[in-house]
Amino acid sequence: MNSIFYLMRKNIKNEILDTLRHPLKFMLYAFIVVTMIYGAVMGFTANTEEIAAGELNDKRLLSGAYLAILYFISIPILRKGLSSGTSFFSLSDVNNLFVGPISERTILVYGVGRQLAAMLVLVVTFAAYGGMMINMFHIGVPQMIMLVGGIVLMLVMVQLTTLMIFCLASNHPKRAKVMRWVIYAIIFFPLVTIIYYIFTRGINKDNFFDAISMPVFDGIPLIGWLHGLVFGIMNGESVKIAVFGALMILTVALSIAALFLTKLDFYEDVLSQAESYQEFRDAIMEGKVSDKVMMGDRKVSVRKTGIDRGKGASAIFFKQLREGGRRSRFIFLNINTFVLLFAAFVIGFGMQQALPNVEKTITYLAVVVILVYIQFFFSAASDWVKELMKPYIYLIPDDAVKKLMMAAATGLIKPFTDGLITFVLLGLFIGGHPADIIFSALTYGSFGCVYIAANILAQRIVGVDSTGGVFITFYMSLILIVLLPGVGAGLLSLSLFSGELSFIAATLFTAPMFVWNIVITLVIFIACRNLLNNTQ
Amino acid sequence: MLNVSHLTKKYHKFVANDNLTFMVKDGETAVLAGPNGAGKSTAIKCIAGLLRFDGEIELCGHKNKTIEAKKILGYVPEIPAPFELLTVWEHMEFIARAYQLEDWQDRANELMRRLELTDKKDKLGKELSKGMQQKISICCAMLIEPKILLFDEPLVGLDPHAIKELKLMLGEMKAKGTTIVISTHMLDSVEGVWDRVFIMMNGRIEAERTRVQVEETGENLEELFFSITEKKE
Repeated sequence: MNSIFYLMRKNIKNEILDTLRHPLKFMLYAFIVVTMIYGAVMGFTANTEEIAAGELNDKRLLSGAYLAILYFISIPILRKGLSSGTSFFSLSDVNNLFVGPISERTILVYGVGRQLAAMLVLVVTFAAYGGMMINMFHIGVPQMIMLVGGIVLMLVMVQLTTLMIFCLASNHPKRAKVMRWVIYAIIFFPLVTIIYYIFTRGINKDNFFDAISMPVFDGIPLIGWLHGLVFGIMNGESVKIAVFGALMILTVALSIAALFLTKLDFYEDVLSQAESYQEFRDAIMEGKVSDKVMMGDRKVSVRKTGIDRGKGASAIFFKQLREGGRRSRFIFLNINTFVLLFAAFVIGFGMQQALPNVEKTITYLAVVVILVYIQFFFSAASDWVKELMKPYIYLIPDDAVKKLMMAAATGLIKPFTDGLITFVLLGLFIGGHPADIIFSALTYGSFGCVYIAANILAQRIVGVDSTGGVFITFYMSLILIVLLPGVGAGLLSLSLFSGELSFIAATLFTAPMFVWNIVITLVIFIACRNLLNNTQ
Repeated sequence: MLNVSHLTKKYHKFVANDNLTFMVKDGETAVLAGPNGAGKSTAIKCIAGLLRFDGEIELCGHKNKTIEAKKILGYVPEIPAPFELLTVWEHMEFIARAYQLEDWQDRANELMRRLELTDKKDKLGKELSKGMQQKISICCAMLIEPKILLFDEPLVGLDPHAIKELKLMLGEMKAKGTTIVISTHMLDSVEGVWDRVFIMMNGRIEAERTRVQVEETGENLEELFFSITEKKE
């Protein structure tokens, strides 16, 4: 145990020293701390009695949003339990601790402890929004602490449950299949229930809020139980606390029992997981995004073979199409498309229901702004970034601009496809002016172009091999600079024409931005053609 | 023919290649030998046009970053980097399309047969071992029938059969007039293949010998290698 404490002590000390030696890292931590303090101060100073009962001040919305957060945190981790085990340990833990004379139990406790420390960042992020939550939902500081505490507990529980799933399903395909269906049921049950409820009782705010906060959701294993426990404590409902508390304790007990009673070589499983995690982490840290690290051990079925088309630089584009077809059956549709659709519908319907006096064009404006923000996080793993990690694009004997355009082509098409699908479907459901729908979609697509162009520009200036932190900071600053004229033009157009054309405010704002985004993208592509002159 | 003139490569203050000047003739196989960190891989990458550098590099009279130079250059990197979601055969097709090759199929099949990749034809890049991935890199580089062929530590990870076959293939390419440059820190791995050797240390070429010179003088190349590399370390 002494060696574990020594390791933890040294890790913490060296992490602090490393932070002090790296100004950028120090500033990032300082920013997080300041945000957290600000959130806490806002929370403690907010006078909840004086807050007007606004449209969003509804406990049902809080309940539904909290359930969504719990889903968002837990499902991706739970699904991992069916394939690759846990991420409690790093490869250095495996190489140094597992071979040492330390009991498995001690090492497991250390692993869980480390995991929790790593999750503090996530908790801090939620805590930073505490003040906003208190203001929005008319809750007190103790309730806010309960909600954040619930997220911490969820993270612990989901790790333990993942371990249990892994122990039970590993090397048992039938059990894995059953558990996979259980997880699918957990995912689809609330979705189907909410949709059924809304469509049978009518689409309006009250029914929506009722649907997302139905007590039946508390029966969903783990996620619903924790939701029930947290809201039970917040509302002082002792039966709920007892029932859901007992279920949580039972889950912990079963997880630990599964870990120690199943005949499983726990080290071997962690080793393979730790190796792929290490590979993934290194790749992300070095910005070396590749299909291998992004897809992990996911089985890819090779149905159709051959690139079939393309000569010179265009071979890159058709190669990417074939690769895309193997990543997903529908090349330009993936989970991101569904996330965007979901976000667009939540915001669109939410605004229509919660703020009925607001015009539809404003709703489109809000949806575009939020979706382009979300899109930023999707653009990192674009195909062209992967091309830069391999030597072929530099070696192919063709014009550099052509190669760059062809390498980025799938990344340029994807946001336009997402934008068209999202806004056309949103338009079909909530209505709105066709110009708003079209320009919202086009503007969303054009932001994808700008993100890629800014990435290319950043790579050209700071270098492909620059460190992750420096690159991201520079890249984000560049995006802001590149977007600024377009936003300015949008605001100008809005102020000039909003009198007689206020019914298409979204178009007035987005059309100039769309034009600017396309122009600046082309300029950057041509200016950065020398990017492919070398790998640096 | 490969002409390297006053090649200097710096990473900030660290000089990885210090004013290298050398030439490798048509049909000649040159070896860049030296310990880890001597600057061999950096020189190879500069020749391949992957790094910025000072000086001049010409491949058959073309500056190394021109499209004309790229058309005649084959490069096998030290760390294989296949496309994870392309099959082995699709790698061949991709290279053929990108380099606009004609009638490449038979040659691709022959390369794959010789490096025992035929039964892996429909396997994805991500499903292959490191050694198999290295074989793909070799096939891709050789498919274009380059006039200049660069190998960065080519034998690492290859099985004995592949090493034997690769040496045979290098001999055939040499006979056709291909200029071959191999970087390695294991001299014995290229025994019988080389015509000219450059022993590198601390980014500089400390010695240059031809096979003819060594055979005439009876000089022991391994002793020369260690006398240079151990003396300075």
